[in-house]
Amino acid sequence: MHIPDGLLPLALLVPLWIVSGLAVYISVSRTNKRLDERTVPYMGVLAAVIFAAQFVNFPVGPSSGHLVGATLVAVMVGPLSGILIMSLVLLVQMLYGDGGVLAYGANLFNMGVFSCLLGWVLAKGLFEVLKSGHGVQRALLISASVASYLTTVAAASVIGLEFLTLGELGFPFLVMVIAIHAVIGVGEALLTYAILSYFIKAAPNMIPLLRGEELWALTKVRPVTPPNVVGT
Amino acid sequence: MESTSRRSIVVLVMLVSIVLLVLVVLTGLASTNPDGLEWSLFDFAGLTKPEAYFAGLWAILGEGPLVDALSGAVGVLLVLGLAYLLFWRLSRKG
Repeated sequence: MHIPDGLLPLALLVPLWIVSGLAVYISVSRTNKRLDERTVPYMGVLAAVIFAAQFVNFPVGPSSGHLVGATLVAVMVGPLSGILIMSLVLLVQMLYGDGGVLAYGANLFNMGVFSCLLGWVLAKGLFEVLKSGHGVQRALLISASVASYLTTVAAASVIGLEFLTLGELGFPFLVMVIAIHAVIGVGEALLTYAILSYFIKAAPNMIPLLRGEELWALTKVRPVTPPNVVGT
Repeated sequence: MESTSRRSIVVLVMLVSIVLLVLVVLTGLASTNPDGLEWSLFDFAGLTKPEAYFAGLWAILGEGPLVDALSGAVGVLLVLGLAYLLFWRLSRKG
């Protein structure tokens, strides 16, 4: 899903840089001095796990897919910290040649800002619907997985629309890019389920929805309390 | 006690992530097919692939599973370090 350099016009790349930069600025200022220092190692580990999972592609017919992880991080640490984690992961990937330098803003917008916010909204909405009938942990796993699938397809649609601005690509391209990500999204949902299952067992108190807290409001990000580590 | 448990979880997850990544890459389980977007752009729509003016930090070592495994493992640690630094700066101390 990483856009290389030399494809999208600067007229599109520059606004996406600005929007993504603004989102990172807002995320930093709203997170600053509100995180408990004991959660720092978990933020680091989560970012590293997302990088590792993004690094490995799974086959999808003649193509392949990889985890994006935006919904996963948004569910685990909130959308604003999630945007910061995605910005770091995508930065290192850009340094590795996966995704263009000029296209970094576009990639951060598609896989970070847009995907974290949409994934969080969808997961939160589904969780509220499901939690009474399924129990909170199961509801969270289902809602995060479904949200990650829908977010993958939605992000692919946005990328498809961005490429339609080239004028060379038509409607069949848009349909194909959405269709192939409708399959890749299944892998995203399964990986989200598996990784989230581990963290629910290892550090349930790290996850805001399991603490019953409304960490989600963009205007009011409350401190992340330290994880309740198993065995302590 | 809590700090020791926290540290052991961090070390365990990092070890598992790196070992899994290296194993999957070295055993050829990772797909080398173009990803969904690349396939749609270059194979399906027939767009010409642009010449990358920055091929990545590891490009000088060439390509292959060993380079991928090594760069992946270093990348995992690099991301961990960067995220640790950023969120340490943003955290409330004391």
